[in-house]
Amino acid sequence: MRNRASTSLAKGKIRQSWSKYNLYNLQRFRTPATANRTFFQQKWTAKALSRAYHGEQVREGQWKRMFSKRIRSVIPMSTSDLAADDGSKTSAGRGSGLEKRGRDSVTARLTPYTQMAFAPLERRLDVAIFRSLFASSTRQARQFVIHGAVTVNGHKMRHPSYLLNPGDLFQVDPERVMFATGAPKTKFERRETRQLKQKEEETEGETEQAKSEGAEAKEDKVENAKDTLKALMAQAKTIMSKDKDVLPAKRKQELRGFQKAVRRVLSRSETSTVLTDNLESQFSELTLLLKAKRAEKKPKESKKDKKDSTEETAVAEESEGASDKLSEAFKSAAEGGEVDTSELSDEEFDVLKRALTQMRDNPIDNTKSYATPWRPRDYMSAFSFIPRYLEVNQNICAAVYLRHPVARPGSAEVPTPFGEAVSTPAYGWYLKRRW
Amino acid sequence: MVLRIRLARFGNKHSPFYNIVVAQARSARGAKPLEVIGTFNPVPKRPTNLYEENANARPYKEIALDRSRAKYWLGVGAQPSDPVWKLLSMAGLVEKKPATYEKA
Amino acid sequence: MAPRIQSRRVSNALLPYLTSSPSSSSISSIPSLSPSSQCLARQFSATAAPQTKLRRTMFEWLNNEGAALKHHMPGQTNYLRNPRDSNEGGGNRPFPNNPNFISENILSEELRNEIYERVVEKKKSVRAVSVQLGIDMKRIAAVVRLVELERRQRAQGKPLALPYARAVHEMVPTTPLAQDGERQQFHEPINDLPAHPTTGPQIFYPVPESRSFTRVDAGRVFSGAPALEREVAEKITHPSDLAEKAIENPNSIDWVGKGENARQVLQPADVRIPHPQLVKLELDRAAFPEERRKVAQLHAERMERQEKVETERRERAQSRREKSIKHVEPEGGRFDYRFSDAVFTAETTGKDGRAPWAPGRRYGVPTNDRKRGVVKIPTRVEA
Repeated sequence: MRNRASTSLAKGKIRQSWSKYNLYNLQRFRTPATANRTFFQQKWTAKALSRAYHGEQVREGQWKRMFSKRIRSVIPMSTSDLAADDGSKTSAGRGSGLEKRGRDSVTARLTPYTQMAFAPLERRLDVAIFRSLFASSTRQARQFVIHGAVTVNGHKMRHPSYLLNPGDLFQVDPERVMFATGAPKTKFERRETRQLKQKEEETEGETEQAKSEGAEAKEDKVENAKDTLKALMAQAKTIMSKDKDVLPAKRKQELRGFQKAVRRVLSRSETSTVLTDNLESQFSELTLLLKAKRAEKKPKESKKDKKDSTEETAVAEESEGASDKLSEAFKSAAEGGEVDTSELSDEEFDVLKRALTQMRDNPIDNTKSYATPWRPRDYMSAFSFIPRYLEVNQNICAAVYLRHPVARPGSAEVPTPFGEAVSTPAYGWYLKRRW
Repeated sequence: MVLRIRLARFGNKHSPFYNIVVAQARSARGAKPLEVIGTFNPVPKRPTNLYEENANARPYKEIALDRSRAKYWLGVGAQPSDPVWKLLSMAGLVEKKPATYEKA
Repeated sequence: MAPRIQSRRVSNALLPYLTSSPSSSSISSIPSLSPSSQCLARQFSATAAPQTKLRRTMFEWLNNEGAALKHHMPGQTNYLRNPRDSNEGGGNRPFPNNPNFISENILSEELRNEIYERVVEKKKSVRAVSVQLGIDMKRIAAVVRLVELERRQRAQGKPLALPYARAVHEMVPTTPLAQDGERQQFHEPINDLPAHPTTGPQIFYPVPESRSFTRVDAGRVFSGAPALEREVAEKITHPSDLAEKAIENPNSIDWVGKGENARQVLQPADVRIPHPQLVKLELDRAAFPEERRKVAQLHAERMERQEKVETERRERAQSRREKSIKHVEPEGGRFDYRFSDAVFTAETTGKDGRAPWAPGRRYGVPTNDRKRGVVKIPTRVEA
């Protein structure tokens, strides 16, 4: 199917996508004027607008077959109200209760039924993947499904139009999700990857001649820890040199401190064999150590809490001084030795712990298809919400489709950028059979 | 005339599916049988990795069988074809046939 | 496995290793070069940059008002603002034109693990945990499934998307787990009553004023069933009595209509809500306002009784299912075989053997599987 989902500025259509063009279109969208327009024209425009967002990848005929005029809704019940009255009070007199209760008329909110016009499309697998924040657009989600990166209930599912049933568990390959939601690589990072690949190919050729691939692999593992650190430093350096204009001064300082720490570790490690150990084991040891220290320090903490708010600003200023101590600690941690944590303050503890956790979870790796360390792509936060009918576990990139979306008083669960002024005529358009 | 219990192929290209049928031996495969007594899906289903207990489970094939009808037809002398014999022996309705290498 | 750090102040922005806290949000204030100034910088180009007016205004917006949307603030939403709204803060409406869509809270990592612990390790019932934490029962079941899957994947060393997960939990509003001594914040309404399609049309039904017309009667009117006999109706003191009956014996619900039109009588809301026992609890509270302990005890007893009935029924169904399938594992083969019982009689296949519900593929019936409008992809996937 040809992709007609261009986010052109001239047309200003809103799509299911996280692109900045789409964000701009979303921001400048105004509900179309209805004055001087026939009812048919209003419905036509509303339909065109909302179909550009809802299931733009679905053919019109296919959508018309899916459309259902029945709209699911729920009413949150209060158990105390149910207990207080068995229904005879409300139906007393002429059918609407003997006393007029003023409270209800004030609090009663309307249920926005027509906002649910496109609810059947939310059942589609590709749309559900986009709604779970696993892809940056429905088109991309669709590609993931077609390329075999998605499983439903543990089986590979290659149909983006598969309609999820309540209770279905779908899972996307985490690498793809990181690629879809992460910031893209810069020009320089891409070039580095290319060079790395070329090098690898060359070395591979050599090893094939020597026919000692197995031995090579083992050596690689031993060198791994060192390599990671080296790569870290190189990455820090490149960030420093390339994004000079963009980086704020504070971050530059932090980076410099970090680089220093790594360099020191590297220079020591050539003589000692400690570093050849797995980084992973070092990490777990260190966190244990930190925990123990933390427990000792706890009584003091409570006093400090009050000060914290005032200190925060001060800490930010101190960060340069702190980073020296931090780098010491980081260095000793990486060497696998004891960490002298007594000198560090609570804040520094946190920073150190955080740095180590994040280093482990979010390594710099040129082979990845996204910029490493991973960070969210620009403007992602403006689009990030997860509707209630999905329960998502981001760690494993899996989600469960709990139930069909419903409307309730005051809100509708189908995410749509349009108000009722658009969705009502659009619903009206599909109510009438024209085919 | 001989009665046979045999498989009749249904399903599409590359996705076979069989009815286990009782039919006259000389009738065509696709012809209407005397009776359908079961189905056999030869495409193995794979247990998912979603549950712990599936960790060592092997792929499996699904068979639906009307045991009482099968027993009746065997009793009146219907002869199962080789593949059906295999299935029926697994269901415990007939003795297992010795394999060719066991016979020799 | 090291514990995940859940801090409001952790951010993924830029090189994250040694970032400290709120300063990370300062990136949004980086003066990025506007495209127009980039054009000016291209001194040796003779042609004007191919910028349309629309593009120019877009980049102007992105660099001024839109700049705040580029990066997120940990622990705060960062949605497009409606220009008419003047209130500060993140807000929870991602679409400025649609006030009816709300970005709802998601479960925080700790709350998820707490649910798993309570259900799997402390063996509490899903229903009880749902009431305690204010979370829908379906969601609790899903969380248990997902956390179990996550733990297994961690044990197997499969790749996880940890930095991504952290970023999403920073961007989307979350329901935190209550600290010791705090009250747990409820995640969502748990007693949602689905609107039944038969209640759609309004019905004019005259009733004498002297008669009390309850929800039970209304349900019968909606489903077209005759009114209850007086003796039966008098036994029902409150509609929630039916709920208890329906849990203990689901077959106690009446049917109306014949043949294919047969349907169950619409039950009152007290039966159809997910937690009908809470209505009984409220009734007990009203009956014994001073005796909290007695009310709690009554509630616990009722819960225990109902749970026992439900588990028994579940186990019975499970054993029946297992009995009907015979597993055969031939030696030396690659596959297992599963024999299920089928019945081929006139009732199951129809008189001519061609009934649409007959087991097996049928003879003399056209297969419509390639027709227009017929769904050609799987409609469900067995777990």
